[in-house]
Amino acid sequence: MRVRLPGFYIALAAVLAGLIHIVAVLLLPSLAPRNAYARLAALGPANTMIEIPAATPGRQAMPMMAPDVRYAFCRFDLAAGPVRLKAAIPDELWLIALYTREGDNFYSVAGADMKRAQVDLIISTEDQTVEEAGVDAPESSDEVIVVNSPVKEGIALIRAPLAGPSRASFAERALAATSCSPYGR
Amino acid sequence: MTAAVQNSPPLLAPSHSRPWREEEATHSMRSLGYFIGAFVAALFLGIGSAWYMIERGSPLTTTKVGPWSGWVNEGNPNADLYTRAHVARSGRLPLTSTVARYFTARTDSAGRLLNSDCEYKIEGGPINARWWSIAVYDEYGAPLDNPSARYSFNSEEMLRHADGSYRIVLAREARPENWLPAGDGGRHLTLMLRVYNPRETDAAGIGIVPGDRLPKIERIACE
Repeated sequence: MRVRLPGFYIALAAVLAGLIHIVAVLLLPSLAPRNAYARLAALGPANTMIEIPAATPGRQAMPMMAPDVRYAFCRFDLAAGPVRLKAAIPDELWLIALYTREGDNFYSVAGADMKRAQVDLIISTEDQTVEEAGVDAPESSDEVIVVNSPVKEGIALIRAPLAGPSRASFAERALAATSCSPYGR
Repeated sequence: MTAAVQNSPPLLAPSHSRPWREEEATHSMRSLGYFIGAFVAALFLGIGSAWYMIERGSPLTTTKVGPWSGWVNEGNPNADLYTRAHVARSGRLPLTSTVARYFTARTDSAGRLLNSDCEYKIEGGPINARWWSIAVYDEYGAPLDNPSARYSFNSEEMLRHADGSYRIVLAREARPENWLPAGDGGRHLTLMLRVYNPRETDAAGIGIVPGDRLPKIERIACE
């Protein structure tokens, strides 16, 4: 048999390239740079509110953080029950967002969309109800937002966009007053 | 009917078989060469295209307007594999695209890479959103060191003209109006426009920032 035209090998290369492309797309996320969850997990324990230091040229918790936003996060772990996030929202620009470990933003609420300044948000899995957690039902349930999380572990991130540089210390104080803790404890 | 097998299998004399085997051998060597070539090409193509489509995006996942590109489903739990891989590798936690849109630019409007040795004029019209901000980073996403600790301008603090339009000057040395310091020289820059709660959305609820509202980036001069 004579050597065929390289057509066969071009087709082979194309098919192989397609397969390798698919494998690479599946593998690339788990290789090299750390994802946001891993970066934030390095900053402190779960189920507690941690302020992220403002990004500076030498140091930032995540790449491309907004220099004019102040952030605080709670790495929630629902294995032992729901987690409660409390915040006094001083500003309609604030945003609270919940993420899975992979960075899926499955819930978010803006300060401007809330009728009240005091936010009481309970994160639970679908099979945990707030009553089943063995705690008293919230005093008046319309003041509490219960969010069903599709995952046991994730991140709650509060963003405080600044109206100007002079607002930074005010936003940092307001973020320091937010809390995150296991529900009922 | 009883056709006796008359032809015995041909006996190949060594003098015949050797050239034939050599031809076979060179043929299979060549096949192997082609196969390895095809495999190496497939490796480069497969990994290269995956890397490019995850890092930079493709028409499947991103919208490009001039120098700006934005991932349509960033942060969305229903996002495709490329977008999810992009978010995981970026190390960021973007808001889902129904709440915020992010656009990055690595070049000026003429397509030349942004360079901290150059001075740029960034001009645009008002954006219909609750809050938005333009920040500058080095090519790795870190803010640029500068004495006035100015890394961005947002919709609340920016000096604007009467019609809501604005001009930012990205330069190493101080400039009037909105001066965005370019830090030390000799590096490539990335601009990010973040738009929180855009008021226009498409049918899927994804925020829309019309292409003509993404600012022009014009290079003025280089050192």
